[in-house]
Amino acid sequence: MSFMHQLRFTWRALRRDFRAGELRVLAFALIVAVASVTAVGFFTDRIGRAMERQAADVLAGDLLATSGFPIPQEIHDQANSRNLDTAMHTRFPSVVINTEDESQLVAVKAVTLGYPLRGALQLSTLDDPDNDAPLGVPSPGSVWIDNQLKGILAISQGDTLTLGARDFLVERLIVYEPDRGENVFEIAPRVMMNTVDLESSELLGEGSRARYTLLMAGEIEPVGDMRDWLDENMADEVRVQSVQDGSPQLQRALSRAQRFLGLASVVTVLLAGAAIALAVRQFALRQSDASAVLRTLGASRREVVIWLVLRLCAIALLASFIGVVIGWFAQLVLAELLVTWFKLDLPTPGLWAPLVGTLTAFIAVAGFGLMPVLRAGRVAVMRVLQRDYSGLDSSLLVTTLLGLVATYFVVLLQSRDWLLSAIVVAGVVLMLAVFAFFGRYIVKLVRVLAGKRFRLSVAGLQRRAGSSVVQLAAFGMGIMALLLISIVRVDVLAAWEQDVPEDAPNVFVVNIQPDQVEGFRQRLDEQQIDSAGVFPMVRARMVSHNGKPILSNPEDERQQRHARREYNLTYSDEQPLANEIVEGEWWPTDGTAEPAFSIEEEWATDRGYEVGDMLTFKVAGVETSAKIANIRKVDWESFQVNFFIMASPAALEGMPATFVTSFHSDENFSTATSGWAREFPGIAALDIGAIIKRIKLLMERASLAVEYVFLFTLLAGICVLLAAVQSSQAERKREAAILRALGASHKQIRESIVAEFAILGAIAGFLAAMFATGVAWTLSRYVFELPFHFNAFLWVVGVVGGAIGISVAGFLATRAVLDTPPVVALRHNA
Amino acid sequence: MSSVTNNTQSAQESDLQSVLSAEQIEKTVSGPSGQLTILHALDIDVRSSEATAIVGPSGSGKSTLLGILAGLDSPTSGTVTMLGESLNELDEDGRARLRAGKVGFVFQSFQLLPGLTALENVMLPLELSNTDNAEERAHGMLEQVGLADRTSHQPLQMSGGEQQRVAIARAFVARPALLFADEPTGNLDSATGTKITDLMFSLREEQGAALVLVTHDDRLAQRCDRCLKMADGKLVTL
Repeated sequence: MSFMHQLRFTWRALRRDFRAGELRVLAFALIVAVASVTAVGFFTDRIGRAMERQAADVLAGDLLATSGFPIPQEIHDQANSRNLDTAMHTRFPSVVINTEDESQLVAVKAVTLGYPLRGALQLSTLDDPDNDAPLGVPSPGSVWIDNQLKGILAISQGDTLTLGARDFLVERLIVYEPDRGENVFEIAPRVMMNTVDLESSELLGEGSRARYTLLMAGEIEPVGDMRDWLDENMADEVRVQSVQDGSPQLQRALSRAQRFLGLASVVTVLLAGAAIALAVRQFALRQSDASAVLRTLGASRREVVIWLVLRLCAIALLASFIGVVIGWFAQLVLAELLVTWFKLDLPTPGLWAPLVGTLTAFIAVAGFGLMPVLRAGRVAVMRVLQRDYSGLDSSLLVTTLLGLVATYFVVLLQSRDWLLSAIVVAGVVLMLAVFAFFGRYIVKLVRVLAGKRFRLSVAGLQRRAGSSVVQLAAFGMGIMALLLISIVRVDVLAAWEQDVPEDAPNVFVVNIQPDQVEGFRQRLDEQQIDSAGVFPMVRARMVSHNGKPILSNPEDERQQRHARREYNLTYSDEQPLANEIVEGEWWPTDGTAEPAFSIEEEWATDRGYEVGDMLTFKVAGVETSAKIANIRKVDWESFQVNFFIMASPAALEGMPATFVTSFHSDENFSTATSGWAREFPGIAALDIGAIIKRIKLLMERASLAVEYVFLFTLLAGICVLLAAVQSSQAERKREAAILRALGASHKQIRESIVAEFAILGAIAGFLAAMFATGVAWTLSRYVFELPFHFNAFLWVVGVVGGAIGISVAGFLATRAVLDTPPVVALRHNA
Repeated sequence: MSSVTNNTQSAQESDLQSVLSAEQIEKTVSGPSGQLTILHALDIDVRSSEATAIVGPSGSGKSTLLGILAGLDSPTSGTVTMLGESLNELDEDGRARLRAGKVGFVFQSFQLLPGLTALENVMLPLELSNTDNAEERAHGMLEQVGLADRTSHQPLQMSGGEQQRVAIARAFVARPALLFADEPTGNLDSATGTKITDLMFSLREEQGAALVLVTHDDRLAQRCDRCLKMADGKLVTL
């Protein structure tokens, strides 16, 4: 037969397949797989990138290089050669004086045109905080100030401030500064100026404590490339920061969202893969009779196989096209919702997502379909005369292996992680083995326990032992995935909600002097403000670790930086609320504690410090040494005052300290803190409400994406159930016809089918709940880092939901069994 | 050796060319109680235009013999020659190529492809043998079997008799030299069965195809030129 003939024949067969509904489930499963992979691909690609940009707001750029000296020209050149956008800021402490000759220590930030590269400042006029002012950078000769300075020096619009050798016009009020949250303990109020005024104001002389920062932004690849270059060549000269090193709160929310999206898409693909496997197997099985007839009429095996392969390719191509289109529209809807939030153009969708979607369809069809199709091509021709001739030869091992290889690559395309994909495949193998092994015994057990009424149903399950186990595994996998994604989804969303509670502190007050503490407490009481406590804060430099000086090599710029760095330490008898001890023990709380340190988990890991190590800090020229008594895990999302290093009172009490507190206020920041600056000179109240609002918004939008992707998982789950139900339909039709011929009523057969599916669903639900609990525990603990809650309800949902869901799905899908007249069923299957 | 030999053939028959011959074919299968011989060293020769009936009770090996003669199955030993070519020297695909367009089949269970229309089913053998005007010829054939108005119907939309008529149209559309029929009336009532038999025999006569018919229906067997009976895997002439 010529190739054109073959194509024509394939086309006709395809039309026939669709007409006969043979390919409905396969096409549906393929479309869902491709649509979900494509949509999730777009999410993680476009929206993930946009979310990273959002996170980049808190740095005001994608990548930062900071140094105590002007940034080397080589770094500028490298950034320019990669076509990155750049801007600079220079930060240093200074003093401003108002027209009344009152002075205030301020944190000056001199910026160049283009700052901030990511995120946006929110500005207003000084008279009306609600009046949005145009953006840009301070014009030469003028400065912008924050609320805190406005309050302290009672500045109005049009006032002038003396800064260094020059007077500056106060032009704007800074309502929100995207990268201010980088260090909330930068206590001095902000003055922002233009870099061009630095020289004339003579602010930066020899030995001035300025921090120079080059901000860079651009596409992901050149930014990543630039970071690698900086890490390799400039690690000693500059401190490098990117989104990944950004604010712990945002970073966690973002990485959880991405992990969940990744998990949901892997699960979706696994489910769709299972549905494809079942549907393709079913397709090949049905084609084995046609294959025998065609070969009787003179077609060669090769031709038969080519037709089947061409048909599968055509279906995969068609489904890919439809799936990509659906995936595209699905992400458009969400992208539309998010565009207003990001306030920037979403990155253009790449070709990667549709490519991965299409590849997934072809890998799945090839992996799961190739062996059944080859076997259908080799079916004994004698079947046309004698049906008991073997339908398909059993190369189960090869089929399974090929299926697992396909699963591996399909998961790999999603996760892009070799090891993770291997773990997922191993998990699937284990699960299928357990389902197959226990399924058989549980069916036997149910037969013993089942009364007369359900004997027919259980007998049905046993009679179709092979396909029952396949169905059990498919149902189990479907239910497990749905349970798993549901719990994780609920847990992740709930954790986000709890992470940033409604009453999360939105005001931080720092630099409270010891003699102001009592008065300040009273002031808070008067204003009915409930603070989480007032903590001492001791500024210290680290001297040595286990007796080894931190600055062992004075030539080493990095060591110098570490040694120069000031840490904020606190001391307390009590263990702070949002802190969990992960190693060691908290010291006695009755005042008898020896000098000891407690350090934050990641801080310890980064430096390789362990419980029992001796640390020495220098506070105002005095050294204090103590062993690390414990390591804490800090819940940064709590927004409470938290410290990397804490000490027992014995280690730090009596050392020079200021005090810090945080609280939640529903009032406007200016109203809540009005008059404080004059009443308690030197204290600084910081408004972090805007930061919290943005983080909450990020989490809300991420939740939306999570819910959206979950929809696809649900669809894929339904696909598996349909494919599994369909796989035994022909057998059921014949059996029902025989039973009806023997006098069984419609009702009896319906009850028998429903009971059979209900038993199958309950068993699958039980095993699924078992697996889902195990996997959810593992994921909660190691992937999402969330507390795990044992959920008894899960077992109820698994067993009852499984029984009801599967019996309804089974009944609906096998209605045709009852609608087919017995004579037709018997004749057709003769 | 079987009790049947071709020395009983008439002089008139011997003038005709042999289209199918089997020598000493034997079929052994392994069963639960050891090796089981289904066919015992059979010889058979079918000449062009000749109708041969093979009758016998269920389980006597009729269908197995038909399968081997048609090249659908291989004998354990012995040789089969079809249309001048030795099937033993051909692999399965070679045997399929040999059948394409030259051998027709009528089955008890019709074996029409579900989902394909009557017309498409009839076109199959022509397409498989790369014959031109497949659609036109299939139309003509369906007209001949009285189904001109059912061309676009699918098998499940037709009665058993209609389905078998489509199967007959499919068997004859390529004007085969050899036709195999396995219980063609087995799934039909007697009135329909008679009509189908008439149709099959009239088309066979018109086209001059040799027929090998397996049946347990004596009346049907009597319409053939000769009748062979199978019993316990052996053939006897009736």
